[in-house]
Amino acid sequence: MNPMEQFAVTPLFSEPLLHIAGHPIYFTKQALMMVLVAVLSSLFLTIAVKPGRLVPSRGQSVAELSYKFVADMIHSTTGSDGLKFFPFVFTLFMFVLCSNFFGLIPGSFTVTSQIAVTFALALLVMLTVVVVGFAKHGIGFLKLFVPHAPWYLLILLVPIELISFLTRPISLSVRLFANMLAGHTMLAVFGGFAVSLSAAGGIYMGIAIAPLLLIIGIILLELLVAFLQAYVFAVLTCIYLNEALHLHDHH
Amino acid sequence: MTAPDPDRLTRLGKQLDALQARQTDANKRPPPNNLGIAGRFATEMVAALIVGGGLGWGIDWLFGHFGFRTRPVFLIVFFMLGAVAGIRNVMRAANEINAEIAAKAPRQADEE
Repeated sequence: MNPMEQFAVTPLFSEPLLHIAGHPIYFTKQALMMVLVAVLSSLFLTIAVKPGRLVPSRGQSVAELSYKFVADMIHSTTGSDGLKFFPFVFTLFMFVLCSNFFGLIPGSFTVTSQIAVTFALALLVMLTVVVVGFAKHGIGFLKLFVPHAPWYLLILLVPIELISFLTRPISLSVRLFANMLAGHTMLAVFGGFAVSLSAAGGIYMGIAIAPLLLIIGIILLELLVAFLQAYVFAVLTCIYLNEALHLHDHH
Repeated sequence: MTAPDPDRLTRLGKQLDALQARQTDANKRPPPNNLGIAGRFATEMVAALIVGGGLGWGIDWLFGHFGFRTRPVFLIVFFMLGAVAGIRNVMRAANEINAEIAAKAPRQADEE
């Protein structure tokens, strides 16, 4: 059993969906999961808040809590003028959170364990930051790369700040991707232990309970990681947006 | 089902209010655990090295395209700049985590 097998992206239909510049585009397991995550999470959020009760039902309070959680997070990191980015940050947060949680269902597929997905999300964030920065400050946005220092140090510091800025989409995407990949690989490895131990028969059958118990612990840890990584992704988005909005004000 | 006791409901409401008042912004956030911190530092450092090396390699390739044989020079220089940027990133991340812990500390002292 190969623990990495679960991350393979396989087409669902043998026929390609469409051709772009000669490349066949398939509808894959990955694409299906992304559609499911997007549709189910939006459906849940719209249906849950529909009754608009004063004393919320369970679903409504989940939707309201996640709204308030993200709104508080944006408010505390960027101030009140960052709240116009609420739809963007909330969509990102819910998409990552739901992908992480859906991935934990046995037999499903973790969208965020693909670097292509996380890097695309991170690029989207950085493009937004650059566009917002230039729209708000014009050419003054480039001051973000010029720290307060004498000019002879700036020759060294500007390239460093530039590299540091270019690092962000990579560290943002790799962190989410690596966490999900590591967790699910770990689950598959211990699952493999349990299966091969019980297949060995005899006294080994008894030992097979140990990896099973461990898996329960890892699943709990993964639930925490799934939430934590979605939170980290969203909060870093807010921090980067804050820099684009306010440049060096926070110093 | 019996009818709810109004006294009990008001008491419950008061308890809930007291609990929610204690929950401030910082307390609601998940605490930074050690594994998360280690992972964050590692990705920051490695990403900076990759970006630095990649930029240097790209500049060398560009110059080579126009007939200047600078091949290892910019790669080395930008790799080093990348290392510095990585350390800068890690320091920045450490500052953020410190600020987060500091924001939480006085409140925990209150509760004790």
